[in-house]
Amino acid sequence: MSTTAQPGLSVYIKVYLLLMLGLAATVGVAFIPLGRLNLPVALAIAFAKATLVVLFFMHMSDSHGANRLVFVVSLLFLLVLLAGVFGDLLTRAEISLPSGAPTFDPPEIPLPPRH
Amino acid sequence: MSAHTASPTEFVRTAPVVAHHFDDWEQQYESCVLGIWAFLVSEVMFFGGVFATYAVYRGLYPVAFAHASQHLDVYLGTFNTFVLLTSSLTMALAVRAAHLGRSRQVGLMIALTIALGAAFLGVKFYEYFHKYEQGLMPLLGLPFNYVGPAGQGGATQLFYGLYFAMTGIHALHMIIGIAIMGLFIPGALRGKYAGGNSLSVEVMGLYWHFVDLVWIFLFPLLYLVDRSL
Repeated sequence: MSTTAQPGLSVYIKVYLLLMLGLAATVGVAFIPLGRLNLPVALAIAFAKATLVVLFFMHMSDSHGANRLVFVVSLLFLLVLLAGVFGDLLTRAEISLPSGAPTFDPPEIPLPPRH
Repeated sequence: MSAHTASPTEFVRTAPVVAHHFDDWEQQYESCVLGIWAFLVSEVMFFGGVFATYAVYRGLYPVAFAHASQHLDVYLGTFNTFVLLTSSLTMALAVRAAHLGRSRQVGLMIALTIALGAAFLGVKFYEYFHKYEQGLMPLLGLPFNYVGPAGQGGATQLFYGLYFAMTGIHALHMIIGIAIMGLFIPGALRGKYAGGNSLSVEVMGLYWHFVDLVWIFLFPLLYLVDRSL
């Protein structure tokens, strides 16, 4: 974040080219049948691209501890949110239904009447 | 942000302006950058809620989501991702120019960023209109024509509801960003960002990069659901 030592132009160009590579990988991998792995791979590439943007475009690599702490803690909050939501969702059927009932059979949502 | 002195000397100063409630320039800089990061944290939680909603319904209705996603245009989505990543580069270069005191270059790079952002929004609204024509817009009581696989019409409607909600709030963030960036250009052309007065450009850049970050996740989650099936 210092104004005296700027990262050179080449750093930004390199990061941009890596992001373009990541975009090509995102689209390419999506059309390769990997079964259940498609989603984790897509998310992994997205996280890699996001990391590049945060570290170099947003200067987190060169940032003060407080900024880093604040941002990383936000990701922890997000994990808490997702853990709560999925903890409920994935255990709800087992807790509320009598034993022997199908545990993960999504109900059909009825369409509201339309005219 | 820089202090407003309302005196004509503001544009001929060579040193960065320090507001009176800060000890020095360094402290002002660190406080403001930490402030925008704290705002971005609240944005992470804002978008996090929508992403959690998406994750729940995709987990419940994977087949309907895969079918519905096929009706989004991968070419337009890829093009828009390219445009937005490029706008992040021009924004990063605007911040760099501000740090180097090249005020006119700041103006040029922000103008490029605005142009790329506007191109993104143009493609986005063309996509929206196309979805409206196809009857895939479950908003405002509009007719919804797509039934999806084996009577999963409700889940398909959920996908398009999430599509419009997520891309809509993302587009709203871009519109706000473009409007604020427009305010930077007259000052930049007058030399306001020469002499190390780079703080507001840096803060603007962090916001714009965050909007880019959100799209990096939205693109595969909306346009590329189980394309290989």
